[in-house]
Amino acid sequence: MSSISHILIAGGGLAAQRCCETLRARGYDGSIAVACAEPVAPYDRPPLSKEWLAGEPVDPALRPPGWHAEHGVELLLGRAARRLDPHRRVLELDDGERLRYDRLVIATGSRPVALPGLEGFENVQPLRTLADAERLRGALAAGGSLAVVGAGLIGLEVAATARRLGLRVTVIEAGPAPMAAILGAEAGSRLARMHREEGVDVRVRTTVERALGSARVEALELVGGLRVPCDHVVVGVGVRPATAWLEGSGLDPAAVAVDELGRTSVAGVSAAGDAACRLDPLSGRQMPGAHWESAVRGGTAAACGLLGLPAPAPAIPSFWSDQYGVRLQCVGDPRAADGVAFAGDPAGRAFELTYMRGGRTAAVLLAGRPPAALRAARDRIDVQSHDHPRSIAA
Amino acid sequence: MSLIPEIDTSACVAHGDCVHVAPQAFRLDDVAVTIGVAPDELLIEAARACPSAAIVLIDSETGEEVRV
Repeated sequence: MSSISHILIAGGGLAAQRCCETLRARGYDGSIAVACAEPVAPYDRPPLSKEWLAGEPVDPALRPPGWHAEHGVELLLGRAARRLDPHRRVLELDDGERLRYDRLVIATGSRPVALPGLEGFENVQPLRTLADAERLRGALAAGGSLAVVGAGLIGLEVAATARRLGLRVTVIEAGPAPMAAILGAEAGSRLARMHREEGVDVRVRTTVERALGSARVEALELVGGLRVPCDHVVVGVGVRPATAWLEGSGLDPAAVAVDELGRTSVAGVSAAGDAACRLDPLSGRQMPGAHWESAVRGGTAAACGLLGLPAPAPAIPSFWSDQYGVRLQCVGDPRAADGVAFAGDPAGRAFELTYMRGGRTAAVLLAGRPPAALRAARDRIDVQSHDHPRSIAA
Repeated sequence: MSLIPEIDTSACVAHGDCVHVAPQAFRLDDVAVTIGVAPDELLIEAARACPSAAIVLIDSETGEEVRV
């Protein structure tokens, strides 16, 4: 391994943090600098739609104050990456400063997709950053009615938290059911029923036709004519990698493909987390990272790559959610399924859905099940069931 | 019954929920590590809080896993 003495990380989220931790844990003693667009030290996003949003006294910081100084990690906060010159190995920040590096890790995460008809209103927002969450927490504390556009993980968790706080909540989803594109119709209809039982007005197979109001949205008019009055609107219709700043660098700003050690096609440049498209060892497909665990594994893998260490063992993809005290856990890739088997109480909230593909278990979704059930589910996932055709982006 | 927590290090990705629930019993490294004792109720709460189900609770008398 050639000598590396200066590692620069663009982005300061979970992947960046785990990359720093692994670098130090494995003995790297050169410098590390983290340029983070947000003005706060790395924090954990999952609580921002759940307990933190509800006003519980949880601290989202990933590490205690002082950790970065103690571990020789220089935090450049409030400073976003603007341009990359990989030939000179220089990263330019949005304040014009140019930073040299031996190795760069792109970890700038993702940004929420905006809906054109809902831009520019005072009371419409995404939920991605701590600043977004602070704004939403203030709006929810004021009570009233909330419209959630998009029934994905973020939208459903916000809806559940808002109901817990006593707001009137409407969820508007273009698909046939909440999360149906990922989890299928069976899981989607159970999620819809749970939210309706909790008092959420769940509207599926419809979209926002237009927003009524001037500076503030007063109501959303849906396709079909229904009007949804709202004091506040959260848009959660997906994310895209926040890598537009890579234009002209030689890397594809739409999708930064990396190998199992986080290395890109450009010398000296790695990527991790939502900003990277990792080669999924189960499917052979280049998959954008979009969940907490993929950011953890990507950050760790990138650090191993920088240090010339072997890649960590491949892991089965997984994500979790908490809604109304029910924990949802998904392991494997349910999108690969050709059949779904249900087990549990048909009328209840505790169940397991097993997603089959070619007679093998491709994924398991657990709702309200104990930890041992998740361990058993992981053991049932069959890697052979993920036999997608191999295609490499970039 | 007295419970002994073990960490499944292949499953743990250091979410840190166990440390929030029972800081006397767990510490975060690359993965969670056990560092001390805690009341059974707290260990069960920690095991249930873990999104990765990486905490295995063992009955100290029988040596068997206790499903919680």
